[in-house]
Amino acid sequence: VSAMAESVMAESRRCNYFFLYDGSKVKGEGDPTRDGICYFYPEETPIDKQELLCGQLAGVGRCVSELSSSPVRILRLRRSKFAVRMRDDFFWALGCSMDVPTVSVCELLDQLISLFCFYNGSVRQSYQLNSREALAARWAQYLAHLQTGSTELHHVFSCLRTIDPTNIDPLLLLKAALILQACQRCPLVLAGCILFRGRVVSTQMPPDLTVKVMVHESETYKDQRLNGLSSSGSSGSAVSSTTVFLTVSDLQCLQSCPVEREFRSHSTPNKDSCPKKTRLSRTLSDTPSSDYEPSEPDSSQSPFSAQKVSFNPLLSGSDNSACSPSLSQTAADPPDTPLHSLKDPFLNGKISHEVEEEALQESYYHSFHSNGGGSSQIHIEGDSSTLEEMSHVNGQEGDGATADRERPGARGATLFDYRGGEPGNGGSHEDNAGSVNTGDQRAERGGIPPCSSLFDNPAEGPLVPMTLYQHRVKGLVLALLVEPHFQDDTAAMEEVYHSSLASLNGLEAHLRTITPGAGGPQGPYIFAHFDCLQNTLTTNLSGRPGGAQERSFVRATSLLHSHFCNTETLQEAIIRNAGAAVYGTRNVAQETYFLQHGGNVRNSGIPNHQDSAFSLPSKARHRLLKHGVNLL
Amino acid sequence: MKCLLIASESAEVLFHWTDPEFQQNVQEQYGASQEEGQGLPAFEDSINTLFAPIIISCSTMVDRLGDSYACFTTENNHTYVLHQFDECLYIAVNGDGEEGEDDLRRKIYVMKKMIDVLFGMVTLSSNLLRKELRPQDTEQRAQLWKRLQSLLETYSRLRENDQSFLVEAVERLIHPTLCEQCIEFLERRLVQQLNSSAERAGEEVLHAFILVHTKLLAFYSSRNASTLTTSDLLALIIMAQNMYPSNIELDDPSPEDVESTSGSGPEIFYTPEPSPTDRDSSSSDRPGRGGTPVFEFVDPDIQMAEDSLQTLEVPPPDPSTPCRVFLEVSLKEGLYPMMPHSMYCLPLWPGITLVLLTKIPNSGVAMSVYLFLEAFAKLEKRLSEGQEGSAVTRGSPPIHDFRNKLDKFIKALGPSDIQSSQLQNVWTDFKNRAFARGRPGFNRELIPWCKSMKMQLCGVYRQCFLTDTSGPADVPQRLSPSLQDRAQAMVQEKLMDWKDFLLVKSKRNITMVSYLEDFPGLIHFICVDRSTGQMIAPSLNITERATSELGKGPLAHFIKSKVWGLVSTTRRYLQKGYSTVTLRDGDFYFCYFLWFENETGYKLEAADLPILSDDSAPIGMLAWDYYRKLLRYYCKNHQGEVVKCYELLTVHLGVIPTEYILQHCRQLASKLWEPSRNPLL
Repeated sequence: VSAMAESVMAESRRCNYFFLYDGSKVKGEGDPTRDGICYFYPEETPIDKQELLCGQLAGVGRCVSELSSSPVRILRLRRSKFAVRMRDDFFWALGCSMDVPTVSVCELLDQLISLFCFYNGSVRQSYQLNSREALAARWAQYLAHLQTGSTELHHVFSCLRTIDPTNIDPLLLLKAALILQACQRCPLVLAGCILFRGRVVSTQMPPDLTVKVMVHESETYKDQRLNGLSSSGSSGSAVSSTTVFLTVSDLQCLQSCPVEREFRSHSTPNKDSCPKKTRLSRTLSDTPSSDYEPSEPDSSQSPFSAQKVSFNPLLSGSDNSACSPSLSQTAADPPDTPLHSLKDPFLNGKISHEVEEEALQESYYHSFHSNGGGSSQIHIEGDSSTLEEMSHVNGQEGDGATADRERPGARGATLFDYRGGEPGNGGSHEDNAGSVNTGDQRAERGGIPPCSSLFDNPAEGPLVPMTLYQHRVKGLVLALLVEPHFQDDTAAMEEVYHSSLASLNGLEAHLRTITPGAGGPQGPYIFAHFDCLQNTLTTNLSGRPGGAQERSFVRATSLLHSHFCNTETLQEAIIRNAGAAVYGTRNVAQETYFLQHGGNVRNSGIPNHQDSAFSLPSKARHRLLKHGVNLL
Repeated sequence: MKCLLIASESAEVLFHWTDPEFQQNVQEQYGASQEEGQGLPAFEDSINTLFAPIIISCSTMVDRLGDSYACFTTENNHTYVLHQFDECLYIAVNGDGEEGEDDLRRKIYVMKKMIDVLFGMVTLSSNLLRKELRPQDTEQRAQLWKRLQSLLETYSRLRENDQSFLVEAVERLIHPTLCEQCIEFLERRLVQQLNSSAERAGEEVLHAFILVHTKLLAFYSSRNASTLTTSDLLALIIMAQNMYPSNIELDDPSPEDVESTSGSGPEIFYTPEPSPTDRDSSSSDRPGRGGTPVFEFVDPDIQMAEDSLQTLEVPPPDPSTPCRVFLEVSLKEGLYPMMPHSMYCLPLWPGITLVLLTKIPNSGVAMSVYLFLEAFAKLEKRLSEGQEGSAVTRGSPPIHDFRNKLDKFIKALGPSDIQSSQLQNVWTDFKNRAFARGRPGFNRELIPWCKSMKMQLCGVYRQCFLTDTSGPADVPQRLSPSLQDRAQAMVQEKLMDWKDFLLVKSKRNITMVSYLEDFPGLIHFICVDRSTGQMIAPSLNITERATSELGKGPLAHFIKSKVWGLVSTTRRYLQKGYSTVTLRDGDFYFCYFLWFENETGYKLEAADLPILSDDSAPIGMLAWDYYRKLLRYYCKNHQGEVVKCYELLTVHLGVIPTEYILQHCRQLASKLWEPSRNPLL
């Protein structure tokens, strides 16, 4: 019986140090190093030690990057290692202990930086507009978020925390997916995800975006608990939204037709920053994209369409859709699709098989229409309007977003309660007209903005302001990435709110009754299964500090994972020491690690085909089938 | 783009080696201010300026954080590895992706090993070593650095091309009868004759061996000699190769050669039979002889001169002058590292070299110096730990014994030269502080005197063993040139009929063809006996003009790169305690096994191997003998038993079922090192 890696383990920090140092503040001979320290973690570190680390590492970093004409990426000391990013005059360093694989440290740093940019926009601009103290709180918050409840295995794989799919009715997952699809019918909605108590139930976004969205969720959850909102037994549900910043590639990934996504989101593996070059789906070509930004740490991500390789109920249908089959259909009847698909927006828990099928099919071409169709219309209508729109958005960002930032407690620019909204009383049928309107509106305004000129900081990559909309029903959160003007569009907002409210309530009620996976009998083996496309980890390893075999497993897994990351051609490996043998295998979509308890009675280490270590592959294949892991 | 730099703590460059690309890069960065043709000092200055901030930051980190840099990687995959030995900081850089972090660290350790072999205990005093590595005289410095640079280049060439330097174990030529004959010849005739000659000037030949390229044909140690460690032997082979490089890797096939060999393809798959009577036909066995100087030479001396012109711009002043090398000696009383020896490298023919290692007359001094140094180091350690008074001096040898011994030692040195009188003075000072009544005695304040005693002792050692050959007044201590000539002629005569065979044999020592029938699907293997430091592997002749079993050109190169990659991968796992590794990589299946046996071949059970840190010394036998330590570690639980350690690496085609692959491995493992010591052929 498998259980999702339960994060009972208290504060296992993978980060020892993290700092952001601004070299532009320390130019002159007399400038003290502390002037350059924008943020230092742990904050209680004595200032002279902070200065020592920042000054020395940044200095050496600059010297080395001059010698090699390239920024430093990894800086290792004898007892710790630092992942480094150097952009403009900024110097980020994140230090971990030696056990954490280097690839994972680099990944964590990139996640952290992109998380900051997601909520605050360009780093340089943020520091111009905000006080160091205010931003320090942000860094601390993001760092804490990325580290909370993670086990040692989570240090190795930077994975999403998801609900245990084996423990709940698959229909609930389907329902969650359908809610997201329903929301996407509003053309202003780019993509969404549903979270329950800090875990992903369903998402339409690539993993790195989902992680970012989750930060806001956990934050508002905390706020709510402080305000006592969730403690009240009434159907307290709240909607909030906040400005976020997407990279152009993120945006393209969300806006473009899935086929185009394939090309754009991953065509050019960012060799230096992304070790996961191997996430190629077999359907993908290697056509380089002109939109590729080498400077953006997180510009390469897993392609949506590749998720097809392993179907998982956690995926909602719209991501999963292949674009090609629906292309002809949409081409045939694009204008009436929204109306058509709104015929049965609610499937409140009573999903028959046919309905399910129908809904999925509908959503396939619907999602194509609302995303791809929209953007294709822009091209017809010309780019001038788009430019106008974007400059408007940018201007707005200056005051709107900063005002927003100055209230870190209540981040939502618009936080309001629909107390009156009763569960099941959505009434969105009446909103059909509104939906169509917004659809037109979006066609006029939306699309991929040619925003490279908008930000004066090309090194960070252009960032596009968007809005993160959240609708909370107790522990359940619907998070949607929407166009910025969604907030001003009351009709669209209400439509989204009402169309999802009843379903969210229902889903919440079901999820609440599910007891978290007790773990059950562990079985005579340990395994870890990492889905590289969705960034999810399935394992029967408890978060508690384990015995010798558990530790041995984690150690072997981290070594093998590094090896897999660095050697594209490596498919499987067995490694053994005196105590334990671990089998690792991977393909484009997944990595699996397996250890059999007690199978390794003392051996001499000499080659022997009867040795139990070499039967691990077949054992793993056999055993893991019941965990839904197919190694055949 | 490669570089290796040694710097002192004060950021003074003690040695540097750069490839042309790196040099160009530095010069470009240093800008147009650098004038053309300014040669060494100018370049030295610019490299110094560029690296100084890193070196200074490094010592700041050590001082204030107690931690130091181990490695930098940039986004374009340049790698910098840093390692500090005492007060010398070594920095190795690679910017072309040819060397990984582990390779660079290994290079640093090998450089350190070569410096140890060349300077012995002088390396124990940073002060003296600094002067030694960076002579004041520019020309002398240029000469020394050139020598070290060329050693480093030779090592890199061997590591990249020679399997025995890949796995760091000695490869023997597999020809038991000839090997036996040669050993007998070395013992009964050569060494005996040399050691009984009056022209040996007090030196005594301890070891004699014959190298064919890098492979060992015969090795003889005299009865009273201690064993030569694998680490030292490998270092000596590098030095011999540096003096008389074999040009195997240098000759590229010219178009004519390819044509001329096209007809004789299959022949190359078989190891040529020895043909002692018919020299001409044996050389025609080997296709493509046209451009190979190895087979075309007329006069060894002429050939030699050409070779040395190509690779050795600064030839030693007198070819009969031996090389001073410092090697480990294990005696009944204990282990003495860095004992002085003289090394004579006598070229027999291009590619074949006779090496003699002699014990020099005053080597007893080195032993005493080592014991005194050790005693002062212990004393210093105790004092710095805060111990005082009699607690410090307890233990063996008793302090008064020690004092008497040192008194006698200094007396025996004689007050004649400056160095020993300086030692005398410092020792008197020391005694006054430590032993005289009413004096502070043994406490922390004595530490500087310990240090200065150590330095003086190293100075005496330097005086005795590093400068004796350059003393103008003294007749150089060595086997007389005529004796060397005689030795050379004797072995030449003995091997005359075999030389062509040997040169071919050394390139195709054993071939995969012999194994194909028994092991279908096996592409390559390497088997290493770590207890003796010897290895066996089919030859991987990628520069051979003809097709080998691995095919021609790109394919052979590809397989070679896979083998090289496999070795470094398995080392990484071994470093983390994994003794068995199997990998399915592309179209190949790789296996690695390390195991222990006792003398009778009984397989001992696997033990938990130590888990080392990422920046630990490289796993191998050349620079730092990991396997010796591993054996010692393993033997703790097998007291009184002779334990042997073996390694097997195999490369199979991926389509072969794993079961068969493992069976192959088992068969190879049990057959290769059968008691007869003759690998199956």
